[in-house]
Amino acid sequence: MYNLIIFFCLLALGYFSGNYFEQQHYKSIKRRERKTLSLPAVTFGAKKPIPEAEVAALFVGSVVISADYFKMFVYGLRNLVGGRVVVYESLLDRGRREALLRMKEQAITWGASTIVNVRLESSNIGRQAGNNKGMVAIEVIAYGTGIK
Amino acid sequence: MKYTPKEITEEVNVTKVHPLVNLASLLGTTIVVSAAIYLGLGFVAGQLATRMDPETEIKIGQSLFPTGISHREHSQQLEYVEGLLGSLQQEMGATRIPLTVHLWENEQLNAAIFPGGNIVVTTGLLEAVETENELAFVLAHELGHFAARDTLKALGRSLVFVFVSTAIDSQGGASGVVSTTGQLTNLHYSRTQESAADLYALEAIIRRYQHGGYSLDFFARIKAKDTKGKLSEYFSTHPITQDRIDELKTIAAARGWSMTGVASPIPETVTSSDHLP
Repeated sequence: MYNLIIFFCLLALGYFSGNYFEQQHYKSIKRRERKTLSLPAVTFGAKKPIPEAEVAALFVGSVVISADYFKMFVYGLRNLVGGRVVVYESLLDRGRREALLRMKEQAITWGASTIVNVRLESSNIGRQAGNNKGMVAIEVIAYGTGIK
Repeated sequence: MKYTPKEITEEVNVTKVHPLVNLASLLGTTIVVSAAIYLGLGFVAGQLATRMDPETEIKIGQSLFPTGISHREHSQQLEYVEGLLGSLQQEMGATRIPLTVHLWENEQLNAAIFPGGNIVVTTGLLEAVETENELAFVLAHELGHFAARDTLKALGRSLVFVFVSTAIDSQGGASGVVSTTGQLTNLHYSRTQESAADLYALEAIIRRYQHGGYSLDFFARIKAKDTKGKLSEYFSTHPITQDRIDELKTIAAARGWSMTGVASPIPETVTSSDHLP
């Protein structure tokens, strides 16, 4: 019985705090995306000559985002029945956009005119193979070549 | 090529489903499916238990019976309980395999049946009963579980339970949902079984003593001590005692069973503690 009460408390905590932080994060993402809109970040540049430039430098933006208890619980249920993991979609979306923003913000400070050959990578943290328990967190890295 | 800055206005990468709606649909699916699995496999386990031959039942009983409990052998109390149980068994014809009574040195008021016809009666229960009719009802109740093969069925269901729980053990919180559903479906079984065993017991009592008087007094006394609230009642494995009593009285009235009569006393040698080894 007590386990059940603790479980519901954790679920409520996960839901409300997770939702709050997600909304705050999206607000911040949208504001900063508008601010960095002027800098093009494009995927071309590999196996092709990059646009003419004087200087080029590597820019890496990386972020680690954790799921909350609510998301993890819903994921656990989803894992039984299969289908789209809607609760983790926003997690990855935030990760990708935040990583891109961090990369772009660095490049803007450096004075880049364009970032070419932009790549995104993601990996999970805290869950090794064969260990399905514990923290769920993802790392997203965005990297590209800044030119000016 | 010209670069046109474009703000992300459409969230194509995030499905627009409210998290709580998502949770509700998943939870509903999981509960319904796991309840169906438990009920289905539980039904199969029950069918297998009903078809089990006596030798297998005895073998299972021997391997499962707890060996560590301290029990009295060859005492007058044990002989008395064995005699009483034997007479009830004869009345009801529940002689599939021989029953073994174990008198457990324990203060709790309890009696239980294990697979293989092993009945455990606590010494606390023997001291608490006031008439033979009360004791006979408790024994007949366990005999009812024996006749319906409830212990074997429960064994089969717990195997299903362990199997399913192990299979989804790695799913974190989700396994909790499935196992809780399993426990609740199990409660459904045990509640039905308890009521059936009660009815069986009353019938045995009527045949043995020709009346049901005094046999339910023990439950009434437990009830007086039972101060737990509504919540624990829902989760308890036994239906609440007042419900049990009322149900039995209704059935007795419908079948024309007399619920009053003379109490059969328990022999002095059993109730007094002078002779204890």
